[in-house]
Amino acid sequence: MKVAVFLESYNGKTVKAGLEAAAAAKAMGGDEYIAIVLGRDLDATIADAGKIGFSKVYKAEIDPYNPSVFAKAIASVEADYYVLPGTVWGREIGPRLAVKFDAAYAGDITKVVDGKTFVRSIHGNKILSTIQVDAPKVVVTVRPGVFDTPEFGEGSAEVNDISVEASEVDQKAKLTEVLAASTDKIELTEADIIVSGGRGVGGPENFKLIEELADVLGAAVGASRAVVDAGWRPHSEQVGQTGKFVSPKLYIAVGISGAIQHLAGMSTSDIIVAINKDEEAPIFKVADYGIVADLFKAVPKLIEKIKEVKSQ
Amino acid sequence: MMKIVVMLKAVPDTETRFQIREDEKDVVYDDSIEWIPSPYDEYALEAAIQTKEKLGGTVTLLTLGKGVESQVIRKALAMGADDAVLVNNEDLANSDPLGIAKVLAKELEALQPDLVFAGRLATDTADSFVGPAVGELLNMPVVAEISGLEAEEGKIIVTRDATARKEKFEITLPAIVTTDKGLNEPRYPKLPDIMKAKRKKVDEKDGSGYLEFAGTANRKVTQIKVEFPPAKKGGVIFTGDLDEAVEKLVDALHNKEKVI
Ligand SMILES: Cc1cc2nc3c(=O)[nH]c(=O)nc-3n(C[C@H](O)[C@H](O)[C@H](O)COP(=O)(O)OP(=O)(O)OC[C@H]3O[C@@H](n4cnc5c(N)ncnc54)[C@H](O)[C@@H]3O)c2cc1C
Ligand SMILES: Nc1ncnc2c1ncn2[C@@H]1O[C@H](COP(=O)(O)O)[C@@H](O)[C@H]1O
Repeated sequence: MKVAVFLESYNGKTVKAGLEAAAAAKAMGGDEYIAIVLGRDLDATIADAGKIGFSKVYKAEIDPYNPSVFAKAIASVEADYYVLPGTVWGREIGPRLAVKFDAAYAGDITKVVDGKTFVRSIHGNKILSTIQVDAPKVVVTVRPGVFDTPEFGEGSAEVNDISVEASEVDQKAKLTEVLAASTDKIELTEADIIVSGGRGVGGPENFKLIEELADVLGAAVGASRAVVDAGWRPHSEQVGQTGKFVSPKLYIAVGISGAIQHLAGMSTSDIIVAINKDEEAPIFKVADYGIVADLFKAVPKLIEKIKEVKSQ
Repeated sequence: MMKIVVMLKAVPDTETRFQIREDEKDVVYDDSIEWIPSPYDEYALEAAIQTKEKLGGTVTLLTLGKGVESQVIRKALAMGADDAVLVNNEDLANSDPLGIAKVLAKELEALQPDLVFAGRLATDTADSFVGPAVGELLNMPVVAEISGLEAEEGKIIVTRDATARKEKFEITLPAIVTTDKGLNEPRYPKLPDIMKAKRKKVDEKDGSGYLEFAGTANRKVTQIKVEFPPAKKGGVIFTGDLDEAVEKLVDALHNKEKVI
């Protein structure tokens, strides 16, 4: 069984979720593993592919990104399994590949039981579903933040060029502009630590406190929907059923009640810490650690204490 | 004049507390479940209505259903859709993702839309599959997960969040987009619109002709087991002196859990 991994590359770097997809793919029991690297400034990712154990890389310079053209490029490489990270690009390309090959599609998997059996979450992460695939070709996307990234060694991969042509229809969706988020901001779905604020924070200006806590931890800032709907924070920061699914090593919920739709987005985090003045808040039911207190008193103390520990 | 189609799926209310069937192969879908439009599909519908209000045209709903959809479709018609196509067939609606996409694509082909909206994911099965798959089946451009939209005659400009950046696309119609939160605020239907919706046309078909084509009996993906996620062991909750609580918490995160 031959397994192809879309090792996503962006801005001259390998996307973390792409490395995680490679790790998930390794658990599927293939005989041969190849990496597919597309886009521009690909050298670093091609080198990474060798270092994490791929013997062959197939690459194409395609700029700008185009979902249909990327799908064609991947489909031009012969394999039995196609494994992609569950990023926006992966979620946009994966279904196209499944159609091209009339393949079985396993979307957003969180666990590989064996090459034919995967676990994923359904119903807003309230239920774990084990699925079995039965088709000559299989397309899998891997939920970001769940698998550990592979070890880097010394290897290097043989590089092969692939070529694709964009059709007339492909030209009809053009990526015309990329608006970069400020570079010092950590992306929620890539972060190891997330500090999220809820309505308890009281107003947009008070989010300084949440940002400060995030800063000392090197964390990303998240938010509940109540806060996003009130316009205090951008919707790109919303965690939950209609926001982002995150699974960091540490999730700190500050002034968040823990509604079921919020829990849907973060309950798989390794360690959950809750700070809330209401002892009965449902967030404490999923918390590994909690402090029942006024956040305006607790968070400044927490920041001081963490600074102290970090400076040791 | 734009012909707009919204792919609308009914899903269990997001508050639902599920029970697991005895054979553990699925959750129980019984009368206790309240069916709602999948939340992302409401953004799709609102975007469709706003586009129609700006450029003129019609909004048609397209649902592949399993017999529980009538209220959801009525609500969507009351919000402002003009009519609906309902393929009502439980076996078909329970096909694997590719089977469902094939049926929806066939129906879309017949409708000949200029612009199709779908949700970025259905909150029940969470496949994130149908939008891009239908695009591939129909050879149409698709941009997924948009949170910004400007529609003009024959063309749309969309933006979406990607990892640590926003991407902007210009798309020549006909095209498909899937919608993310942040795109708009779905409206609530008003009472007169609810009354009016009762007279709007729902073209219901039984879809049995599609069963073979969708591979309903020869699934490529089968759910073999469902379970609840492992429950968290009781956490450590500090209620007493704040300084002590903070000290203990930071100590645990640093020395025991090694996460900071
Ligand atoms: C279809 C649907 C989808 C949804 N999707 C999402 C989603 O994706 N994400 C999401 O988050 N929500 C979602 N929701 C909304 C969800 O149901 C809740 O309304 C929301 O999560 C509440 O946000 P909150 O916890 O910030 O606010 P609240 O529920 O108002 O909680 C505020 C908390 O702050 C505490 N507090 C107040 N002051 C202080 C203080 N000084 N110190 C300490 N604690 C304090 C209070 O005790 C309270 O527990 C969705 C709802 C629906 C119907
Ligand atoms: N049975 C269905 N009927 C109509 N639309 C559907 C159906 N299933 C999925 N869709 C559409 O496809 C989107 C993504 O669904 P999914 O790929 O199942 O996550 C949904 O938000 C709907 O817009």
